Amino acid sequence: MAISTGTPTGRDGVTIDYTTTEQIRRRNSIRKVVTYILLTIAAFSFAFPLFWTVSSSLQTWQELRSFTPKLWPTDPQWQNYNDVFTTVPFARWMLNSFLIVAITIPGTVITATMTAYAFARFNFVAKNFWFICMLGTMMIPAVVTLIPQYLLFFQLDLINTYVPLTIGSWLGGGAFMIFLLRQFIMSLPRELDEAALIDGANPFQILWRVLVPLMKPALTTVAILTFLNDWNDFFGPFIYLNRIQMFTASVGLRFFQYLPMESNEPRDHLLMASAAILTIPVIALFAVAQRYFISGVVMSGFKM
Amino acid sequence: MATLTSSVKPQTTRTRGWSRSERRENLWGYLFLAPWLIGFLGLFIGPGLVSLYLSLTQYDVLSPPRFIGFANYVQMFTADRLFYPSLWRTLYFSGVGVPLGVIGSMFLAILLNQKLKGVSFYRTLFFMPSLVPLVASVVLWRWLMDTDFGIVNQTLSGMGVENPPGWFTDRRWAIPSLIMLRLWASVGGTQMIIFLAGLQGIPDSLYDAASIDGATNWQKTVHVTIPMLTPTIFFNTVLGIIAALQTFAAAFIATEGGPGFATWFYALHIWKNAFDYWNMGYASALAWFFALIIIGLTIVQMYLSKRWVFYYGE
Repeated sequence: MAISTGTPTGRDGVTIDYTTTEQIRRRNSIRKVVTYILLTIAAFSFAFPLFWTVSSSLQTWQELRSFTPKLWPTDPQWQNYNDVFTTVPFARWMLNSFLIVAITIPGTVITATMTAYAFARFNFVAKNFWFICMLGTMMIPAVVTLIPQYLLFFQLDLINTYVPLTIGSWLGGGAFMIFLLRQFIMSLPRELDEAALIDGANPFQILWRVLVPLMKPALTTVAILTFLNDWNDFFGPFIYLNRIQMFTASVGLRFFQYLPMESNEPRDHLLMASAAILTIPVIALFAVAQRYFISGVVMSGFKM
Repeated sequence: MATLTSSVKPQTTRTRGWSRSERRENLWGYLFLAPWLIGFLGLFIGPGLVSLYLSLTQYDVLSPPRFIGFANYVQMFTADRLFYPSLWRTLYFSGVGVPLGVIGSMFLAILLNQKLKGVSFYRTLFFMPSLVPLVASVVLWRWLMDTDFGIVNQTLSGMGVENPPGWFTDRRWAIPSLIMLRLWASVGGTQMIIFLAGLQGIPDSLYDAASIDGATNWQKTVHVTIPMLTPTIFFNTVLGIIAALQTFAAAFIATEGGPGFATWFYALHIWKNAFDYWNMGYASALAWFFALIIIGLTIVQMYLSKRWVFYYGE
């Protein structure tokens, strides 16, 4: 577009049309400004609820229930955060949640990697059949298997334990994770495996010494997704746990919402504080592992 | 490798069954597959069959299941007053929420894929809501949209709006409120990152070719970017619908299905029948019908995708 042949020509028959390039440059910078404005408005509206949580968690309930909302409290009530831990066993609930993810993360990382390795690198009988079965499990709603599973765990006296919540992670860890890791392994050159095989390595050693070190972004992604899923899970703990001491933080927070209090004071401020406490570990984890996480998703199979 | 070795091996190994390398592939393959296979059979196929059987029985856990044929299914379609409404509500929530979410994520990804200063800061900001645990975001949104003290209604009143809606406590606004909550929590999340990955997979040569043909930026978006993103749109829509149809926690924590059953989604209906009324047989029938709906919708989408999803280079 910058090269115009219609205008009076220079020596070699081509003139650079400076007005047009100038226009393009101007148009581009206008576009940039518009993009920035759009992004800033959108980012503000996305971030505002988070800011509002923190701000509300630092006010007294009287301040919250006034008709003149404050953007930020004049006298931040930091003891609200302390009150959360003294009114309900929130520390215990957080610990329970950490315990669950401490079981499910290694389980998912190890068994999903094994399954993905089998699908990506071995030609066994009925491989395609099992692979389609695996993808098919994503379509079946969890409630179909929930009732018999509940009855089974009930018979085995495993209600109010973490077995029902964690056993799946040690048995493959879910189709999505397996699929993600399988796509990642497929993208690694097979020559690596073959070279190690010639050096006398068995498939376990190939997986552990050759592939796993190269899979770090994908494995980090799987670990983070497992953390998010189980930390945030509500339905599982809600069904399988009914002893208050065994609650996870997610279920506890909801319970807290309805817990009758000795005094009839509203506790929106405490709810907001506990919502913030529940969110802090997730944000912290993401801040540490962000770079790995995004590259893990990008480098896995989603290029399709 | 298996094919290479087996073609070199003489016929004799064939008659004895598998060649060495075939045996090796099967042995190791199934060894690595074993944990998943055990889980698949024990936690999926087994329970699935049991629930199929239970759906043909009356079972209250206390006494053994009593076979009643298709009576549960008949009851579902003819006598359950909450069945159809809960199904429509679920379809309404998913049918509006998922397309809005996918389109939102796509445009956000296109905005964030430009070479701008500070773009990673914006990406992080948009991603943050998806990290907030669902229970926390529900508590937060109920507070934001509280009828009397919520910042939304206080702002609306300040702007002179008389009688702003009661949001989660208003029958007409409860589902739209849940959709807004869902959009906030998911538009900037993994779905958007998958779109970003899709965008980065579009070869520059296509944009160069479009430039030479004199395409404007808008034309490039419509005629290059969006067609190239159709596989990603399809992937996100299919998974989004499967997840949205199963919505339980958001509706349960926000409104417990209310007000006046306004957010009584199908998953809540199953839960109530199973774990509150202990009608395990009837709940299993509801669950199986639900599975058929989800499988059916997914197959229809796969079939329709042939008409609009464009796979580059095939």
